[in-house]
Formats: sequence, structure tokens, C-alpha cells
Amino acid sequence: MTVLTEHAFGEFYQRHSRAVWTYVYRVTNDAADADDIVQEAFLRLFQAEIEASDDEGLRRYVFRIAGNLVVDRWRRRVRDARETPAPVESDSVARDLDVVRIFSELKPRERALLWLAYVEGDTHAGIAESLRLARGSVKVLLSRARARLRDLLTARGVIERLEK
Amino acid sequence: MTDRRIDTAVQEDPIVAAFMDRLRTAPLDVLPRMPGADVLWLKARLIRQWDAQRKVRRPLDVMEPLELAAGVMAAGLLLAWSLPSAFDWIPRLIF
Repeated sequence: MTVLTEHAFGEFYQRHSRAVWTYVYRVTNDAADADDIVQEAFLRLFQAEIEASDDEGLRRYVFRIAGNLVVDRWRRRVRDARETPAPVESDSVARDLDVVRIFSELKPRERALLWLAYVEGDTHAGIAESLRLARGSVKVLLSRARARLRDLLTARGVIERLEK
Repeated sequence: MTDRRIDTAVQEDPIVAAFMDRLRTAPLDVLPRMPGADVLWLKARLIRQWDAQRKVRRPLDVMEPLELAAGVMAAGLLLAWSLPSAFDWIPRLIF
């Protein structure tokens, strides 16, 4: 098995860290959490026995670890009876559709499911692995998340604008 | 991100797909504050080194309290064994 060299790690990190960070940030709504989680996920690459030349395998691994760390944080937050982060203020460019705000109104798990399915183009099996869910339940949960997002979009009256 | 195989079974709602596409391209309101790859590499190497050291030290860490317990037990036994004869010299002083 090829070991990950410093140079290979540097390139891999440059290529994928931003995508992992964006995923974690969109799901947690917390930039500091995203910084910590992404750093931890990349550090765990060194303990993993993955073929260094398998870029896709490494990428999936980092996403899976990041997903697991996000799940751990939700569980800790639920245990500590802390509220989920408040919906964020949307940025100026996206304000026309308020996509960021609408997305942040979903539950963290719904956000993670939708992000992995639509932005990362992950399979049900991949999503199940990333979020530590049963493979069979991913389809149901994803369908619920979609329905909830659709409800939010209908309530905000943005469906027509998205259809254009 | 976009060049990956898209699972059509996963992405079956075009409205949601359109929304997620807008979200994907929406600029971030904050920037990541993560260390560079070189810092992470160094950190990972240090962690690996500490883990290796901890692994080597583990038998010592396990044995240390056992050694202490054995020492205390030996001292107790020695005391119990020598205590009856500890005051033998007192009668010799009197007579």
C-alpha cells in the first residue's frame, strides 16, 4: 500500500478541504465547528489504512469522518439540551432566493442528507455510511427532508422562481 | 464535486435539485480559518509520534501501580513478621 506523502497530502488538502468545510459549515451553521471538524477529519486520514493513490477513496473517507463528527456534535448538543444554532443571516448575493436562510431552517440531519445527495452526488449507501444511518432508512429520511424543503419553499413562495 | 457520478435515484426532485444548486453556488458569509497543509502534516506526525510513545510506555504504566502495591504488601508482611520480636529487647533491659 502506498503511504500518503507530505506532498500528496498537501495537494489532496488543497483540492478537497474547501468542499468538506463548506459541507460541514452548511450543516452546522457554525464556522468554528466547521474549522475543528474539518481539521480533525484530515488528521484522521493518517490513522486510516487507505491507498494513498485512491483520491476518491480518501475523499469519501474524509467526508465520512466529517459526517460522523457532525453527528457526534448533534448528539452532544441534544444531550446537553442545547438548542440547535439559530438560522443564519443569508449573504447578500443569495438574498434573492434566501437559499441559505431557508436551508438553515431544516434540521441538521436533513441538511446533511440533502447536501450529500445533491451537492456531493453521493449514493444512498455512501450517505448511510457518512451519517451512521441504516441504508434502508436513508431513502425515507431523504424523502422527508425533500418534502420539508419543498414545504419551506412553498411557504416562502420561491418554487416558481426556482422552476424558471 | 460536479464531475462525480450523480445518483439519479438520490436526486429525484428537480425543484430541490435546483434549490441545492443555488445553495452550492451561494457565496459563503465567512471564510474557513483552517491551518495550512504543512501545519496539519506536522500535527499529524506529532500525534503519531505521541501515540507510538504511549504504546511503548503502556506496559510501564500498567506495571507501575502493580509494583507499588507489591512493595506495600511486602513491607506489610515484613512488619507483621518482625513485630513480635521487635520488643524482645525490653525485658532484657529490666533484668
